[in-house]
Amino acid sequence: MAEECNGQATAHYPLDPNSYRILSEIGAGVSAIVYKAICVPMKSSIVAIKSIDLDHSRVDFDTTRQEAKTMSLLSHPNVLQAHCSFTVDHRLWVVMPFMSAGSLQSIVSSSFPSGLPEPCIAVVLKETLHGLSYLHDQGHLHRDIKAGNILIDSNGAVKLGDFGVSASIYESGASRSLSSSSSLLLTDITGTPYWMAPEVIHSHNGYSFKADIWSFGITALELAHGRPPLSHLPPSKSLLMKITKRFRFSDYENRSNGGSKDKKFSKAFKDMVAQCLHQDPSKRPTAQKLLKHSFFKNCRNAEFLMKNILNGLPTVEDRFKQSKLARLPSLSSKREDDLGDDDSEMKQRRISGWNFNEDGFELDPVFPSYHICRDNANHQGAKLLKFEGQLCIPDRRTDSDVSSINSPVQGNNNGVHESRQVASGVSSPGQVEEATQETLAARDVNGGGGGGPTVASSERVVVGDSGVKIKNLLAGLVELRNSLDEQRREVRELIVRLGGGGEVSREEQLLQTVERLKKELDEERMKKFELLKQLDLMKISASNFSE
Amino acid sequence: MKGLFKSKPRTPIELVRQTRDLLIYIDRDANIRESKREEKVAELGKCIRELKSILYGSSEAEPVPEACAQLTQEFFREDTFRLLVICLPKLNLEARKDATQIVANLQRQQVHSRLIASEYLENNKDLMDILISGYENADMALHYGSMLRECIRHQVVARYVLESEHLKKFFDFIQLPNFDIAADAAATFKELLTRHKSTVAEFLSKNYDWFFTKYNSKLLESNNYITRRQAVKLLGDMLLDRSNSVVMTRYVSSRDNLRILMNLLRESSKSIQMEAFHIFKLFAANQHKPPDIVNILVANKSKLLRLLADLKTDKEDEQFEADKAQVMQEIDALEPKDQP
Repeated sequence: MAEECNGQATAHYPLDPNSYRILSEIGAGVSAIVYKAICVPMKSSIVAIKSIDLDHSRVDFDTTRQEAKTMSLLSHPNVLQAHCSFTVDHRLWVVMPFMSAGSLQSIVSSSFPSGLPEPCIAVVLKETLHGLSYLHDQGHLHRDIKAGNILIDSNGAVKLGDFGVSASIYESGASRSLSSSSSLLLTDITGTPYWMAPEVIHSHNGYSFKADIWSFGITALELAHGRPPLSHLPPSKSLLMKITKRFRFSDYENRSNGGSKDKKFSKAFKDMVAQCLHQDPSKRPTAQKLLKHSFFKNCRNAEFLMKNILNGLPTVEDRFKQSKLARLPSLSSKREDDLGDDDSEMKQRRISGWNFNEDGFELDPVFPSYHICRDNANHQGAKLLKFEGQLCIPDRRTDSDVSSINSPVQGNNNGVHESRQVASGVSSPGQVEEATQETLAARDVNGGGGGGPTVASSERVVVGDSGVKIKNLLAGLVELRNSLDEQRREVRELIVRLGGGGEVSREEQLLQTVERLKKELDEERMKKFELLKQLDLMKISASNFSE
Repeated sequence: MKGLFKSKPRTPIELVRQTRDLLIYIDRDANIRESKREEKVAELGKCIRELKSILYGSSEAEPVPEACAQLTQEFFREDTFRLLVICLPKLNLEARKDATQIVANLQRQQVHSRLIASEYLENNKDLMDILISGYENADMALHYGSMLRECIRHQVVARYVLESEHLKKFFDFIQLPNFDIAADAAATFKELLTRHKSTVAEFLSKNYDWFFTKYNSKLLESNNYITRRQAVKLLGDMLLDRSNSVVMTRYVSSRDNLRILMNLLRESSKSIQMEAFHIFKLFAANQHKPPDIVNILVANKSKLLRLLADLKTDKEDEQFEADKAQVMQEIDALEPKDQP
C-alpha cells in the first residue's frame, strides 16, 4: 500500500503521445475510442488508451476535469486506476492498465451466452463489491455498474472500471454504444438504462449509493442469465416503452421457457440479489454489509477464474472486431433513434416499481396502471381532444394524485399504459408535441402488444364517447378560460393594491394602451362624424345659398 | 505499541493534540527506525480519520457542533494546521485525502460566529506559498491544490495570492502536461479570477497591462487546444461580469484584442467559436467603438457576416440567436470612420 501511494503511477508513465505505439482498436463509443497500445519507454509494456474527443463530448468540461482528478486519487486493487492522462490536441488520452481478458460482458457474450457458472459469479461479484465498497467509502458513486464495466486481467484480477472519465472499454454488443457516451454524460440521468435503479429513472428522487447496489443486483442477473433483464432491446428514446413490450411478449420468456430456465441457482444467490433489488433504496444493504452475505462465504479465488473462464477465450481485439461486425446493421437504425433522445422525455416515462421474482430469478417492472375516469366522460373527451386538436397540456400531477381521483379500468398488473391526465388550459406547442408522441407510443404498445383486447376496446369506447361530448367540453373549456382570466385580473388588482403597483406587466400595459387608443379612436370618430354632419349642413346651406 | 490499542474515547482537543505530537514526531525526520516510523504514520492516519469523522459525522452519527468548534479552535491555536500541511507528503494516500477534507471543512467552521480559519490564514499567508508550490510536485499537486482552493474562499487569502508573484506561475501550471494537475490548476485559476468580485475587479484594473498581455499571448494564442478553450471561456466569465465592466470596456477598445478574438471565432472547434462569440459580441455592441475597431469590422464586414450566419448552436438557443442577430445588424450598419 505504502509504495503504491508514494510512488504514484502518474509520475512514471510518459505524458507525450510519441511514447506510445498504438496496436489496435479495442473499443469505440460516440466520442471516445479505446486502443491497445505499447508504452515504449516503459519496457514496451502494454496499456489501454482511451482517447476522448473533448470538442465533441457532450459533457461539461469542468466535469471532465473534476472526474480526471477524482480518478487519479483512487487507489484500490479492485478499482481500475489510470496511469496518467494528457491532452493530444483536442483529445484527452487516458492511459490505463491493459486488462487482457476484457470485460465480463464481452466474456459472457462470446463464451457464456447463457450465463456464468455460479461459483465464478460469486468470485467476480465479491471482488467487484470490494471495489464498490471502497468507492462508496470515499464518497463516490459509480453510477454505471454493469458487467461491461467489470474488467479482468490475465491473472484473473477483477477491477471495476469506467469510473468517470476512465474507461468504458472491452465491451461489445448492444449496450456498449450507449454506455461509452453515457459514461461521459454525468448529468441528470447517468448510467445505462437496463441497469438503472427505478429511483434513478424517476430522477427527481436523486441518486444515492443504493442505486449502485441496485445496478449491482442487475449485474448479478446479467451474469447469471448471460444478459441483463430486458437487454436485447436497443436503448433508445422509447426505451422504457420497449421494456414494457418486452415483458409482455418478448422472446425472453420463450427462451426462458426453454433451456436456460433449467439453470438452478442457490438460495443464497437468490436472496443476495433480492436484497439488492429491494424497491425501497433504504432497505437495500450497503456494499459493506453485502460483503458479509452468505453467498460470498467460501468464495473461490482468481485462479479459479483463470481456469474456468479465461481458458481459451478469444482475445479482446478479436472480440471487438466480431462485435463491430455484428453491430454494423443495427447501428444505423439506432442512430436515428438516438437523435431524438432527450433526457426530459426519459424522465417523463415512469415505471412505478419493479418486482423481483425470486423464484423465477427474474425482474418484473410494474407500470402505473392506466386510469380512465368513469365518473366524468368529459375528461376522456378532453384527452382525445388534446391529441387530435393539440390544444391542451398534459397535467404533470404525480401518479398517486391521479389514482386518487380516478379509478383504474384494468387491474392488469402488467398494465403498460402511462397514466395521463388532462388539464384544460392554454396550449403550449412544445408540450403538445410531447403529448402526441406519448399517445403514439402508447398506441404502439397496444397495437403491437396484443396485451389484451380489453385495452384496445376501451380506447375505442372512449373515442366514440368523446365525439358526442366534444361540444360540451368546448363550452366548458371556454367558460373555464373566462373564469381564469377573470381571476387573473382580480389577482393583479390585488397585487397593485398591496403595493406591487410598480409591477404592472407588460401585457397589462399594452392592454391599457389599447384601451386608451380605442377610446381616442372612438372620440375621433365622433368628431369626424360631427364634422361630416357640419359639412353636410354647410353643403346644404351652400346649395340653398346658390339656389 | 500499548498506546495504539488503548481505546479510551478521546475528546476532540486530546485528539488534535495527539495528532500534533505525531506530526512533530514524523516531521523531525532523522534517525528513527523505519519500522517505528511506519507505525507512527499508521497511528497518525487513524487520528486523522477520527478527526474527519468528528467534522463530517459518520454513517451512525451527525457531527456535533460543539465538538467541531473545540476541534477547530485547538487546530488553529497551536499551529497544527501548518504542521499538517508541511507533513502531508509524508502521509499515505488515504491520510492525505482525509487531511484535505479536514482542511476543507475547517475553512467553514465558525466559532462564536467568527471564521477563525480566515483570521489564522491572514496571519499565516506564507502557507499559501507552500500550497501553490504543490503544483510543481506531481504527487502533491492534487492535495495541495484542493487545500488551496478551499483557502482562497477567504477574500483576504485570495487577494494575497492574486497580488503575489505566484499568480504568474499559474499561466504555466494550467499548461502542465499532466491533465489532472493542469485541470486542477485551471480550476484554482478560475476561482481566483471570478470568486471575489470586488477584489478581482480591483486586481484587474491595477494589473491590466501585464495581465492581459500575458493572457492573450500565453493562453488565448497558445498552440494547445485545451488552453485556448479554457482561456476563452474564463475571459468571457470575467468580462461579462458586471463588476468588471470598466475592464471590459477597456478590453473591447483594443484592436489587438479584437484581432485575437476574430481568430478564435474562426477556429474549427465549435466550443471555442461559441465562447469567442460571447466576447466578440462585446466589441460589436460597444457604443463607443474607437475608429480603428470600426475600421477592422468594416474591412471584414462580409466575411464576419458570413461567419456569423453559419455559427449555430447545437440546441436551439433564443438568447444566442437574438445576440447574433443584433451583432450582425450592428456590423452591417457600420460605415468606415476617419482616424482621429
